[in-house]
Amino acid sequence: MTDEFTNKKFLIIDDFSDVRSAIRSILRSLEVTQIDQARDGNDAIVQMTGKRYDVVLCDYNLGPGKNGQQVLEEARHNLLLNIDSIFIMITAENTRDMVMSAVEYSPDSYLSKPFTKEILQRRLDKLFERKADLKKVSKAMIVKDYNTAIAELDALIATDPKNLPDLLKLKTEICMTANRYDDAMVIFEKVLHEHEVSWARLGIGKVLYWKKKHQQALEMFQQLIELDPNLVTAYDWLAKTQAELKQFDAAEQTLHAAVKISPRALKRQQQLGDLALSNGHPEQAETAFTRAVTLARNSALNHPSLLAGLARSKSSNNKHIEALKLIGEITKSFPNQPEAVFYKATATAAVKQNQGDSVAAAAALQSAEQVISQCGELANSKLGLELAKTYAQLGDHDKATALIQSVIANNHDDEEFLMVLVQVCREAGFEYDAETAIREIQQGVVKTNNTGVYLIKQGKFDEAIHLLHEAADEMPGNKTINLNAAKAMIIKMEKFGASMEDILTVRRYVERVQTLAPQDWRLHEVVSRLKNISPTA
Amino acid sequence: MDFSDVLASSIHDIKNSLGLILNSLNELVDDPNNRIANPRQASLLQHETQRANSALIQLLNLYKIGNAQLVARINEHNFDDFFEDVLADNQAMCRGLNLELTHRCDPHLTGYFDADLIHGLLNSAIGNAGRYAKTKILLSATIEERYCVIRLEDDGAGFPDALIHCLPSENGLPQFIANDPSRTHLGLYFASRIAALHRNSDGRTGMIRLRNAHILSGSCFELWLP
Repeated sequence: MTDEFTNKKFLIIDDFSDVRSAIRSILRSLEVTQIDQARDGNDAIVQMTGKRYDVVLCDYNLGPGKNGQQVLEEARHNLLLNIDSIFIMITAENTRDMVMSAVEYSPDSYLSKPFTKEILQRRLDKLFERKADLKKVSKAMIVKDYNTAIAELDALIATDPKNLPDLLKLKTEICMTANRYDDAMVIFEKVLHEHEVSWARLGIGKVLYWKKKHQQALEMFQQLIELDPNLVTAYDWLAKTQAELKQFDAAEQTLHAAVKISPRALKRQQQLGDLALSNGHPEQAETAFTRAVTLARNSALNHPSLLAGLARSKSSNNKHIEALKLIGEITKSFPNQPEAVFYKATATAAVKQNQGDSVAAAAALQSAEQVISQCGELANSKLGLELAKTYAQLGDHDKATALIQSVIANNHDDEEFLMVLVQVCREAGFEYDAETAIREIQQGVVKTNNTGVYLIKQGKFDEAIHLLHEAADEMPGNKTINLNAAKAMIIKMEKFGASMEDILTVRRYVERVQTLAPQDWRLHEVVSRLKNISPTA
Repeated sequence: MDFSDVLASSIHDIKNSLGLILNSLNELVDDPNNRIANPRQASLLQHETQRANSALIQLLNLYKIGNAQLVARINEHNFDDFFEDVLADNQAMCRGLNLELTHRCDPHLTGYFDADLIHGLLNSAIGNAGRYAKTKILLSATIEERYCVIRLEDDGAGFPDALIHCLPSENGLPQFIANDPSRTHLGLYFASRIAALHRNSDGRTGMIRLRNAHILSGSCFELWLP
């Protein structure tokens, strides 16, 4: 009856050999023949790097070193799992608490121990069936073809299967990724009409947020937290909305409440640290960054900005020696990474400046500039912002202003990022009216963009292309401008034929966007239209 | 370290042990050459181990209810699918006790509830029914008076009258906890708390009811969810 498992490769991860052999004997009784075992997180990653497993059974609690969540993060981050592999997290706690604390990556299923052979078999059967049903959807998702993914999902939904509620929820998630907010909204409202369900209410709040109805979104998230004070995601969204409404102190308090409920999420601790630092609460920032650095130690999501953030917080608390020691660790933890060199340099500049050593600060800043210039026209906007912050701290307001203006121009329609930018200006104590600058620069970019779109509609392709081409040269990091420049040329080529040179130019625009934001939801359409064009001359 | 951490980490250890005991028992029950225990004894041990596990989960949840930390995460679930999950958890034990555990519902029937909490609750209820049933335990779900009604019945002697009457007829918690803290009463207290966590926006709240001789001749535990 269970020969479906015979050809599947299984990995058991648990720190107790007794538990491993107990699980192995359950698997044997299910006719599983290919079973490997790992005794800790590092061992697991080594084995997963060498072999693609169909099923990974991982205990959350693995003793010292990585925990199960960190194993999962690293496996997903480094693409050690195929789309049809199954990762099951085994927990002693009630699974509900685990579901809440996983923010970045979640397993396919949780299994609470002890579990029987029957439960494991049923869970595996269901998961394999679900993966098989969703195969076409997952394939479309991998190439970011969200419209096809949704169409495939609709076909499944039309058959009214037993897991219909799960499929509807999945559909809303894909719709949100594809910016199809109205489609998601229809489902959220339909679900809520039947019964109070928190994911649907949370979804409405997110749609309100993305549609810039921030006050309404705020009320929705507050209402959710009142109904379920343990719903950490609602806190994250509330804090985001509060930041958007410039209620920065309130946002900090919200995140503070969230880390009390779920202290293990790395990203949340970092956000709290950044907020506390820009709000002028260096003690709180130090606590948050200390936790973040500890959590990151065994994690694939570790990043040089964490140690740099901790160093900056320590220095703000007048612990300069400790700060410099931490900075020394940055390049040791991330050998041969330009980003690490960059963060080391900017953090050093900030600490030296706090110590009153402006010569050493300026020298450190110079090496940061060097790293950025090596990155070329598509230097990461986050690094640009970090550098601008450091310029401002060192009193070089002209350089800071110029850099901030170019960062705004490159990200004129990324509200979340612009909000971080406003925060950074506050943190640097920079007397620069970032919000007015954002409004002005936005107006300019939007005007150029709209004129381009208008010209295309009028059939004045050459004028449109000329305008957008110039804009793209001026703002090589702006995704919208690059995409529209590409689109204008594609429309012209579709009508009048294409030269190889034109195709290469479009490809360059597309590649810029792919480098800047490989996940951008608008990419798929442009890429597939470009594929259908072949040179006519 | 606060008490909930101590509790959580102790439970982690105890559950590891229970898991090992359960798995060894499974092997004993399945092994035709085992000379240590007869299958009946092994099944009883299995049964009690699962009850201990359910009790442990109850304990943690009760502690959380006491601290207002437990909230129902309500989602729509297909009953047929959900009952299959519950059966998978309890079938081996029932077979060992020579009890026939089945479920009955419209295959398209769905309900709104916290699957983790209700699953745990039904595990303990089936564990209890396993003590009193003669040959059968039946799990079913229907829609009645705009509530989803989940019933767990057996063909045993039924609930004593005194127990049936200690439940208030409408929403509200059972009164008996103070004068008789026995196992069954604690279980019912827990069940009514879990039911009460299920609320709909129209103000209706979940509740439990007890009766005898519904479809099967014995006791019938009912969970009414809005």
